[in-house]
Amino acid sequence: MGIRKVEVSDAELVRRVRGGDIAAYGALVARYRDRLGRYAVHMIGDREDAEEALQDAFVRAYRSLARCDDPGRFGAWLYGILVNRCRTVGARASRRRRLFVRNTESAPDASADADLVDRLGWDDAVNRALARLAPENREAFLLKHVEDLEYEEIARVTGAGISALKMRVKRAREQLQRFLKEAEHV
Amino acid sequence: MFEHADSEIIERVIRQLRKPVAMDSGFDARVMREIAADTEVSRPRLRLGRWPWLAAAALFAALLIAHPWSQRADVRPDYQFVLVAPNAASVALVGDFNDWNPARSPMRATRAGIWATVVPLAPGRYHYAFLVNGVEWRRDPAAPAALDDDFGSPSSVVTVVGKGS
Repeated sequence: MGIRKVEVSDAELVRRVRGGDIAAYGALVARYRDRLGRYAVHMIGDREDAEEALQDAFVRAYRSLARCDDPGRFGAWLYGILVNRCRTVGARASRRRRLFVRNTESAPDASADADLVDRLGWDDAVNRALARLAPENREAFLLKHVEDLEYEEIARVTGAGISALKMRVKRAREQLQRFLKEAEHV
Repeated sequence: MFEHADSEIIERVIRQLRKPVAMDSGFDARVMREIAADTEVSRPRLRLGRWPWLAAAALFAALLIAHPWSQRADVRPDYQFVLVAPNAASVALVGDFNDWNPARSPMRATRAGIWATVVPLAPGRYHYAFLVNGVEWRRDPAAPAALDDDFGSPSSVVTVVGKGS
């Protein structure tokens, strides 16, 4: 039947890393890098800060691999670490942006921009709308709808209750619609 | 009808956000470099190479400079960690100070159900936990819980006060 690529499981790679095989960790980095990177970029809104959060998450995960109770669910465990790093880095970036906005009179006000979607294009309008969400709503929306995690998984990763998460996702959906409509029609 | 239109907007948003986001091409190398550096620090190896006498001389010089036999102010004091776990078959202390490696600080049952170990700690703030029977993570009931823990399992915080903390 030809040659078939057999993918080594997360559990096996974790076992090899614990046994001293650093290269096996490289395989885990390659496996999760882009997916987790997407979450970090959307969550933080700045590629450089996102890469810093992601790199930090991978290094912290390596140092604490002994604490990964279920190596078969390494990915979910790693998400938990990244979510926390994004909160920390995102809060710092947000403080930096606020300082910057306060120091410059010409900061743009997204809601006051006429025909934002036409002017910036859909992609930028979505990114701006996403950035205007409260961090906890953006986090829940991204994990649920973009990263496709179940609510139970999101609850484990974020430490929030399921009903609170559902409310956050609902608010995020409503606000995204409102922000994008404003951008389109104002 | 409006609800349907709203849902379409969200579906369009989700489709866009799901597009792959490629990381910088040097990303993997940066992560692995940092990890390799970490590993070198935690597993120091003495390589004698082709001139063992040179290595021995270097070691002698290092000992002269460090003179570890004398009492120095920067010697890390020992701290005893204790956990009462009468039904445990094994307990290990894991934390920032030992790379969360249970093999590095196994605890010994000093009396029935009282487990203890001693580790040297430099001034600083450390997260730690007890690993019971190799599977169960327990925070220290006698210490503050770590609120800013990233890893989802319970842990505690100890702050060692002193020069450099």
